[in-house]
Amino acid sequence: MSEQTGAVAIEARAASRFYTMGEATVRAVEDVSFHINRGEFAALLGPSGSGKSTLLNLLAGLDRLTAGSIVVAGRDLSTMDSEALARYRRLTVGMIFQSFNLVPTMTLADNIELPLRFAETARAGRRDRVMELLTNVGLSHRAGHKPTELSGGEQQRAAIARALANNPSVLLADEPTGNLDSRNGQEVMTLLRDLNQKMGVTVLMVTHDPSLAERYARKSLHMADGRLVSTVEAAQ
Amino acid sequence: MIRQDLFELAARNMRNARLRNALTTMGIAVGVASLVAMLSLGIGLQGFANHQLMKSGMFQTVFVSSRQDMRNMEENADAKPEESPALNDDARKQISALPGVEEVAPEVRAMSEVDFGGKSNFTLIAGLPQSAREEDSIEKVKGRFFSSPTADEVLLQRDFAKKLDPNPDAVLGKTLTVRYAQRQSGDTSSSFSIERKEKQFVIVGLLDEEPFGGMRMISRARVFIPTQTAEAMNLMQPADTQQLVRSSPGARTYSMLTVRMKSAAYAEKVEESVKQMHFSAYSYLDATKSMRRFFAVLDMFLGIFGSLALAVASLAIVNTLIMAVLERRREIGIMKALGASDADVKKLFFAEAATMGLIGGALGVTLGWLIGRAINFGTNIYLHKMKMPAENLWTVPPLLVVGAIVFAVLVSVLAGIYPAARAAKLDPVQALRYE
Repeated sequence: MSEQTGAVAIEARAASRFYTMGEATVRAVEDVSFHINRGEFAALLGPSGSGKSTLLNLLAGLDRLTAGSIVVAGRDLSTMDSEALARYRRLTVGMIFQSFNLVPTMTLADNIELPLRFAETARAGRRDRVMELLTNVGLSHRAGHKPTELSGGEQQRAAIARALANNPSVLLADEPTGNLDSRNGQEVMTLLRDLNQKMGVTVLMVTHDPSLAERYARKSLHMADGRLVSTVEAAQ
Repeated sequence: MIRQDLFELAARNMRNARLRNALTTMGIAVGVASLVAMLSLGIGLQGFANHQLMKSGMFQTVFVSSRQDMRNMEENADAKPEESPALNDDARKQISALPGVEEVAPEVRAMSEVDFGGKSNFTLIAGLPQSAREEDSIEKVKGRFFSSPTADEVLLQRDFAKKLDPNPDAVLGKTLTVRYAQRQSGDTSSSFSIERKEKQFVIVGLLDEEPFGGMRMISRARVFIPTQTAEAMNLMQPADTQQLVRSSPGARTYSMLTVRMKSAAYAEKVEESVKQMHFSAYSYLDATKSMRRFFAVLDMFLGIFGSLALAVASLAIVNTLIMAVLERRREIGIMKALGASDADVKKLFFAEAATMGLIGGALGVTLGWLIGRAINFGTNIYLHKMKMPAENLWTVPPLLVVGAIVFAVLVSVLAGIYPAARAAKLDPVQALRYE
């Protein structure tokens, strides 16, 4: 594990994302540079509108940079075409959202199977993999349930299971506890920490809650007005 | 994404909007049914017309004549009349030996005087081959056909029989006398003599219609005798004098031979073989080429008309899928976040369109077939009431079944192009923000 932490998992170099709205240019992310080592648990903090989610979308390969570069697991996202970006989202990163984003018309098992379908995983043994993922997040008994039949905490755990389906090396979490009560939030955070510590998955979590960052993250990146204002590394 | 996953997801999505997709699929079914119904009618009518014409025996017949008789006729410029051999007994034997030929009968026709009940009538008398028995016009004969190919029996046109007796049916079974000119061999090959002869015949039947439909010439004759009997009578014919003045008179030739085949399937080959012998040949099959063209055009128009409903149905597919794109915006965003490529999203919508096309196509063919059966049934009830034999006006060939389903899938996939492209182009960040 110590060897892994030496290598860089995520690196942003002067990353910028500007939008044009009418005649105005919105500088959602401007000239942001940082790196996160492999196996690290990092937090991205800042008030609403500071550019955290935009930066996370850029790292997830859902949005494209206006300038600069982002390298994740050795791959430069700025040079990828849309097909390569889809492949990157499929295999290299896993993403979880504040609002869970489970497909409401599918059962939990079907939701978790979805990324396996996109990755063209062999159909034989796919259901076993789904059950394994559900068991890891303590939801094997809920496989046949629809998301609406589950509590918020359970839905987020299912979303984490889905994000891990294709064994990504990086997990990007956008306010994962934002819609949860404190008990469920605690459960989800414990799960993320276990994944980071036991499986070596690099975690970058967006949050507006400094106490959460303090408790779980080794590195905290603070953003304001689209810029990175400070990087704080926790003492060992 | 592998194909099985694609169709599983498509089926799931369709189940989620069951009513809307079912209605759209029904729209396709109605469109395909109208297309199948229209084309089946076209094909059925063509089959019906073919069957009727085949029954007339016209297609089993090829008419052969020598090109020598066509000297100075510009329209036959493709064959030089001088090169054409004489249509004599040798040629007749050669044609009889061609595969599929059943009977070769010469055209025997001459002016004669008919005596009946003390009155005389000047008229045309012609030979009628044995094969004419199977013709529609003979089937409707009042009385009967010749008892044998060499019988001394006559069939009269009803109009002519009226001249003999105001009640034409009364002449049946009575005897009439035919006075004719007989050709007799001369001392040399370049001469013959003509002698007046008389022969008695029994009237066995009355014809309401001209045999061979009267299509070959306005009216061949008013009195018909068996061709073999006519040949044995050695009737003096107009062509005989024509032959006499030729540079090489030789043996007797025929002005025309009527070649009858076992079935219409041989007609084209026989016609071709006869032409290779340098004779002129004509069959009604030539005339049906334009009929076949007519049915091709009719089928095309019926197809276009039938496709209109399918065109409307395809708009319903576009509408349904655009609604699906709008409704599933967030889901498409989730799928993209999980690694679905633009092509995966596009393929998913195409799979949904194709599934609707396949189900709609299959239902439509079934519906079209049922409509056809119903109309056939109705038509036959009507025909039965009119004391006419049952007919099959509606034919759904297997190729039409397969073609209609493939066409429905194709139209559906084409209709899916725009919605699929729209779904694939969705920005995942925007789509995930959509509530």
